[in-house]
Amino acid sequence: MTDAAPAIFVALEQSGFAAAIRQSPWLYPAANVGHIVCLVFFAGAVAVMDVRLLGGFAATAPGPLLARARGFAIAALLGMAITGFVLFSAEASHLALNPVFRLKIALVGAGLVNVALYEFLAKRGVEKLAPGAIIPARARMAGLLSLVVWVAVAACGRSIAYF
Amino acid sequence: MTRVVTSLAAFALLTGAAFAHHGWGSYDAAKPVTVAGPIVTSKFENPHATITVKASDKVWTVTLAPTSRMSSRGATEKVIAVGNNISAYGYPSTVEKDEMRAERITVDGKTYEMR
Repeated sequence: MTDAAPAIFVALEQSGFAAAIRQSPWLYPAANVGHIVCLVFFAGAVAVMDVRLLGGFAATAPGPLLARARGFAIAALLGMAITGFVLFSAEASHLALNPVFRLKIALVGAGLVNVALYEFLAKRGVEKLAPGAIIPARARMAGLLSLVVWVAVAACGRSIAYF
Repeated sequence: MTRVVTSLAAFALLTGAAFAHHGWGSYDAAKPVTVAGPIVTSKFENPHATITVKASDKVWTVTLAPTSRMSSRGATEKVIAVGNNISAYGYPSTVEKDEMRAERITVDGKTYEMR
């Protein structure tokens, strides 16, 4: 525990909830495995969406494919948020000060902003496209950004423990 | 495109396969220290057990291993109980003051590997 962290994170780490996570022999490892399993599903769903936006799987109409993958991505993201919160709580004060963890959270924010921009500015131009049609430039850009940002998030996640 | 998908899948597998918790990157393996003395505080908790040890120079925080690994190696909660004399060989943190990560500990003549 470090007192240098903002009080809210110190309080979270000192909570009964966080203590229970640390004292259980299986909760922390289970959350660790769960986080990775959700990551695999998330990365798979996001890869399908991004590759489609970048012009891959061109024989398939983009609308239904993106809608299908979207459901998986949202469920997996929720799973990562829950398991991530468990992992974070156990060591909240240290992690709040960890530069790579901070970068990861900022990148998650950027990824979600990209999702919002796509939903509001690009989605309509993609939903009704026929198979083989050219994907509009702003949707392609969202796909490329998504690919870069989420891979960077995963790389940061793996790197937290080394800083 | 198949190549893009294949490399993404490989990346996902690699990141998934390497989920041992903490690296040793923020510990200076070039300057090993041995911390010996009585255990002052003891937390048998995940992600790592930690103890503080009153050594001759100062009180060290000694980071040990995840609880399941500690148990399977015989280094139970009793072994690292407050008051026991311990000798911990390991590496000082490059980030946290007076913290070290133990490679191995010796209690009561028995040595337990932590890595």
